Amino acid sequence: MSEFKSGFFVGGEACEGRVLVVDDEPDIRKVVKMTLKKAGYDVLEAENGEQAIETINSGENRLMLDVMICDIRMPKVNGAEAIAYFRSNYPHVPLIVLTGFPDTDMATSFLRQGVVDYLVKPVEGEKLRSAVARAMEQRELARL
Amino acid sequence: MGSSNHTTIAILGAGRGGRALLDLLHQIPSIQIVGIADRDPDAPGLQRARELRIPDTTNVPDLIGTQGISLIMDVTGDPAMEAYLHAHKSPSTDILSGSASRMLWELVQHESKLATELLQAEKLAGIGSFASGIAHDINNPLQLILGLAENLAEERDLAAVHEQAQDIIEAVKRTSAICRDLTRYSRRASPHEDVLVSVNGKLDEALRIARYASSFHAIEMIKQYQPGAAIKGNPDELLHAFVNLITNAVHAMELVGGTLTLETRVLHGQVDIRISDTGCGIAPEKIHEIFEPFFTTKAPGKGTGLGLYNVKAIVNKMHGTIAVDSTIDKGTTFILTFPNAEQSGEGSLS
Repeated sequence: MSEFKSGFFVGGEACEGRVLVVDDEPDIRKVVKMTLKKAGYDVLEAENGEQAIETINSGENRLMLDVMICDIRMPKVNGAEAIAYFRSNYPHVPLIVLTGFPDTDMATSFLRQGVVDYLVKPVEGEKLRSAVARAMEQRELARL
Repeated sequence: MGSSNHTTIAILGAGRGGRALLDLLHQIPSIQIVGIADRDPDAPGLQRARELRIPDTTNVPDLIGTQGISLIMDVTGDPAMEAYLHAHKSPSTDILSGSASRMLWELVQHESKLATELLQAEKLAGIGSFASGIAHDINNPLQLILGLAENLAEERDLAAVHEQAQDIIEAVKRTSAICRDLTRYSRRASPHEDVLVSVNGKLDEALRIARYASSFHAIEMIKQYQPGAAIKGNPDELLHAFVNLITNAVHAMELVGGTLTLETRVLHGQVDIRISDTGCGIAPEKIHEIFEPFFTTKAPGKGTGLGLYNVKAIVNKMHGTIAVDSTIDKGTTFILTFPNAEQSGEGSLS
């Protein structure tokens, strides 16, 4: 599955876009992937900010990555650092924060940096899917 | 020891009062306890004296005949003893007895109550910093449970249903373990008598709790445990001391990461516990202050300054010692030494 764009087909299924999930907990990546695949998204995983930066810089992801979902409390490059990096290097990729620890100051700071949504775990599948759908619309606008 | 500034004390009566005095006075460097006497060879104060390697005897005349005693503390409560002492003491020896010694005993008890309160207050103040860690460790499994449950509502594959149901059960168990750890940690230390505590098990429990207080992401862990390391003491207070030392170690490495080493050794009837970090270290001019109350290098509101003060109090109460070895930018090691419980416990009764 190398050549595709948003709205094209991957492995015979409709692909609504490519999402990168960054979280150190394998359980979270697994369940977020499960939730988003149902809505037809192609989901990539990264364990921490460092891996996320590698992933987004590798090959076609540079162009094909549509939306990122990022945890905050992670080893190596943590969420806050990763978010600052992505906002300045990939401003066209909408970012959703998915955190276990609600923190008003942090939320404000992320939203100022252009993060499109700040979700607190546990989040219902429907809410997560609609946040991703909104982010996808932003991504489409950025392509125009 | 041996300096002329020492007050040399003999304690008469080794019941609860004598034992409490022994516990308090042996911690004071300027006081030398030459011995404790009681007619009952099984009196609790005599047992404690053997653990502390302080001479104990059932022979009162022998003890008060010892040369150079500056003060005899009579906590026998026996009016005949007071008269006997005044008749037989050397002219240079003072006597504290009757209502004066009773008042001292009440002060000692009061002091020990205050120390317990202070311990609890400092512990509860620290729990505030656990919020982010607890939220993380509860909300992550909740996210898994919610996601799986939503999926199960539609899942057709029976094998997947079984697997996901099992995942949910495991996630619930993990979450309830957090509450169990925290309720055990936050409760007031039970006033029960000392029990045998497995040091390695307590260190692991402290490690789980310390993870809520600080980020271990950049920390490499090394554990070198000698099996069977056991000491006699209050398990809740020991846990509190370990959480404090581990949290400090991790904070010292917060900015650059490093290695946390937990080590236990049993040697020559002693248990050695070492908690080492490779963090920022303590400045040599500060090192003698670290066990003082209200000493802190943390930002206002971040620490009570009572952490190490309480750690030292807990260690001393369990007849242990605490030492520190630190080099700026290399790291710090706290070394706790306790009598090994297996050898000095039951054996000392005989």
